[in-house]
Amino acid sequence: MDRRSFIKTLLGGAAVLGLGNVIPRGPGAPMALAQGFPDLVAVKGTDVAAMYDRALEAIGGLGRFVGKGQKVLIKPNMGWAVEPKRAANTSPELLAHIIKNAKALGAAKISVFDNTCDNWRSAYGESGLEEAANAAGAEVAPANSERYFQKVTIPGDTKLGETSYHELYLEADVIINVPVLKHHGGAKMTAALKNMMGAIWDRSDLHWGGLDRCIPELMLYKKPTLNIVEAQRVLLTNGPRGHADSKYLAANMLLASTDPVAIDSAAYRIMAESGITEPGYIAHAASIGLGQNDLSRLNVQRLTV
Amino acid sequence: MKPNERMKTIKLIRRIIAWGIFVLLIVSFHKPDAFHWVIKYLPKIQFGQSLAGFFSRGSMTAVLTFLTLSVLAVILGRFFCGFLCPLGAFMDFAFFVRSKIKKRPFSFSTGRPHWLIFPSLLLISFWVGYPFPFGQLEPYSLFVSGHAFLLLVMLLAIFAGRAFCAYLCPTGLALRLLAGQSLLGFKLDPATCLNCGACQKACPAFCLNVRDKSLDRGRCLVCLECATVCPNGSLRYGLASPATPNPGRRRFLRLAGAGAMAAGAYLTGENLRARTFAQPDSQPIMPPGALSLAHLNAHCTLCHTCIAVCPNGAIQPSHSGTPILTAKPFLDPYMGFCQYDCVVCGEACPTGALSPLTVEAKRLTRLGLARFDRPECVVIKNSTSCGACAELCPTGAVRMAPGPSGQDEPTLDTDYCIGCGACQKACPVRPVSAIVVTGLSIQQTAKAPRVVISEDLIPTEDFPF
Repeated sequence: MDRRSFIKTLLGGAAVLGLGNVIPRGPGAPMALAQGFPDLVAVKGTDVAAMYDRALEAIGGLGRFVGKGQKVLIKPNMGWAVEPKRAANTSPELLAHIIKNAKALGAAKISVFDNTCDNWRSAYGESGLEEAANAAGAEVAPANSERYFQKVTIPGDTKLGETSYHELYLEADVIINVPVLKHHGGAKMTAALKNMMGAIWDRSDLHWGGLDRCIPELMLYKKPTLNIVEAQRVLLTNGPRGHADSKYLAANMLLASTDPVAIDSAAYRIMAESGITEPGYIAHAASIGLGQNDLSRLNVQRLTV
Repeated sequence: MKPNERMKTIKLIRRIIAWGIFVLLIVSFHKPDAFHWVIKYLPKIQFGQSLAGFFSRGSMTAVLTFLTLSVLAVILGRFFCGFLCPLGAFMDFAFFVRSKIKKRPFSFSTGRPHWLIFPSLLLISFWVGYPFPFGQLEPYSLFVSGHAFLLLVMLLAIFAGRAFCAYLCPTGLALRLLAGQSLLGFKLDPATCLNCGACQKACPAFCLNVRDKSLDRGRCLVCLECATVCPNGSLRYGLASPATPNPGRRRFLRLAGAGAMAAGAYLTGENLRARTFAQPDSQPIMPPGALSLAHLNAHCTLCHTCIAVCPNGAIQPSHSGTPILTAKPFLDPYMGFCQYDCVVCGEACPTGALSPLTVEAKRLTRLGLARFDRPECVVIKNSTSCGACAELCPTGAVRMAPGPSGQDEPTLDTDYCIGCGACQKACPVRPVSAIVVTGLSIQQTAKAPRVVISEDLIPTEDFPF
C-alpha cells in the first residue's frame, strides 16, 4: 500500500465513522419534530373514534408519522383474557380505527401483537382485539414463543443491559403505542411506558431488577413514534387484570403525544385522585432523557368532542 | 376380474382409514389449536379409552362409545384393530420394512400366550404400582406417549408381525373375548381351497390354520391380508360358523384363571400402592376435573391427550420416582399455569379421568394452595416494587397491599386460591418461586371471588392537569 492509498483509506474510514453518528440510531427514530404542534393533546368525549380523530388532527394527523410503504406496528394492551368492558385491554374499536387510519395513509404492513399474561389465544380472543384488528386489515402476530424475539443490547448504563424485543418491534418503521390506562399492583399504573413490557420476551428480568428502574429502559433502544393512551373507563383497583370487585373511573378521555413521559404524567393525574402513589418510573424516565414530566413546561392542548 | 380384486379394494379402504387416523393424530398432537376437533373426538373412539371411560363412568360419550364398539365387535369381529387402531396402522408401516429385509412367512399359532402374558404383566404392574398395561401397552396410549416403546413395537412387528396384538395388547384381549364368537368373520371355503398356504403365510396375527381350514376370530384383526393373497377367492367374509373347537370348559378355565390373577393382583397391590404416596410435601397438582388422586390413578390410561391439548403447556408427564405417579399428567406451574377460563383438558380426556367441567365450575375448582415465602420475595429481599404474582392472580387471592416493609407487598388470602399456579409462574424468583402451589389429593371448591357492583366514579375535574 502506497502512501496515497493509505491516506485515502484513512479518509474513507473517517467518513464512514463520522456518518455513523449522523444517521439516526434505530430505524424507528421519529421524524424531525414539526414545530407548532402541541406536545400533548387531551380529548374529552364519549365516542372513542371521534376522540381519536380530534386528537390526531390537533397533533398534525397520523400522516405526520406514517408514510406510504412503511411498516407500522400498533402495540395495544391485549394481555388479558377478559371482555372489553373490564377495561384491562385497549378498546377494540380504537385499535380498529387506528389501523384503518394507517391503512388509508398507505402503510405497507400493519402488525399487532402482545406478549400476553394470560394464555395468548384466550387473551387475543376474549379481548376482542384480534377479531377487530383482522377485520380492519392488520396482521395479528403471535408473541407466545421466544423464537419471535431477538436479543439486543440497550444503549447506555442500564440495569437491564440487554433484552429481547419482538422481531416486529425491531423491524417497524413506525410504532404506535396504544395502552389502556389502568391501575397496576406492582408498578402502580399502566400507560405508555409500562406497555412496552408486552413488546419484550422476559418480563421477570424487570421484576427482578426493579420495575421503576427497568421499565423506562425499554424505550432506550427504540422509542415508539406516537403514544395514544385510552382512558375512557379507568380500572382503579386490582389492576392490571381487575377482579370482580374492582372500581372504575369514568374518565372519558384520550391522550396523544410523542413524549411517553409527558403522556404518562398526564395519565397519572387522571388516576391521582383514587389515591395511588405516583409510579417511580415516570421520574426515572425523565431523568434518563426519555421526555418531560413537568406538564407546566409543555404545550398541552385540551379539547372536547 | 380376479377373485381377490374386491378384497384388495377393501384393504385399501382399511389402510386409508387407519393411516388417516394415524396421520390426523400425529398432526393434531403437534397442532392442537388447528386440529381441535380431531383431538377432541378421535381419542374418544379408541376402544381402550372407552373401556376405561365405561368403568370410570366419567363421561357419557365414553360409555356410549364402549357399548357401540363392543356390539360392533360381537357382530363384525376385531375390525377395530384393523381399521381404527393407530398402532395397528403403525405396524402396517413395519410390514413394509419387513417386506424389504425379511421374507420368512408367518405361520399359525394357537394364540395361548395372550392368556398368560398379559395377565402376568397386569399382576406385576399392580405389585410394582406402575400401571404399564395401560401406559405402555394399551395401543393408543403407547402410540401417543410411549415413544421409547414404539421402537420395540416396530422391531416386534418387523420380526413377528402383529404379535403385539395377538399376545400383549390389553385392548386386544378385551376385543378377543368379545369377538371370539363374532357373528360375521372370515371363512376358508374347504371346497375351493387349493391348500397352497398363501393365506396362512400372509396372516400377521397367526390366526389362520390351513390344515383344518379354521380361523380364530378372536385373533383375526380383519386386516384382509389373507383374502388379498388367496389365488382362488376362497377366503370370504360372511356369516361365520358358530362352532369352534373346544370352546367350553377349557376356555372357561382360562378366563377364570386370568380373572383370578387380575383380582389377586389388584387386592394384593392395593397396600403397596397406598404406601407409595404417603408424601404430602410432594403432592402433585392434578389437572382440573381429576377430582381426587384415587380417581385419577384409577382411570387415567396415560394417553397424554390432556398434555397435548393444554394451551399453556401447563400439564406435563410426571417424572416422579413414585411408580404409580410416573407419566401421570400433573400441572407444572414453572412450565405454564392453568388458564382461568379454560376447560379443554376435561373436554378432551377420553376416559373420564378428568371430568368435563363447565367454565363456571372450573373457575372455582381448587387444584392446590399457594404458599407465600415472604423472605424470598423480591419486594422484601431487594426492596423493589414487583407484584407479578398479584398481577396474574385471576381470583384476587393474591393482592398487593402496604406491608410492614413500608411498600406494597403480596398478601395471600387462600380462601380464594384455586391453585392455578399463575403466581408461581409469574414470580421472578428462581430456581424456586417465592410463591409456590402445592397440590391437593382431593380437589376442592374455592370461595367465589368477591363481587362488588359499583357505579363508575365520575371525575370531578374535566382536565386534572
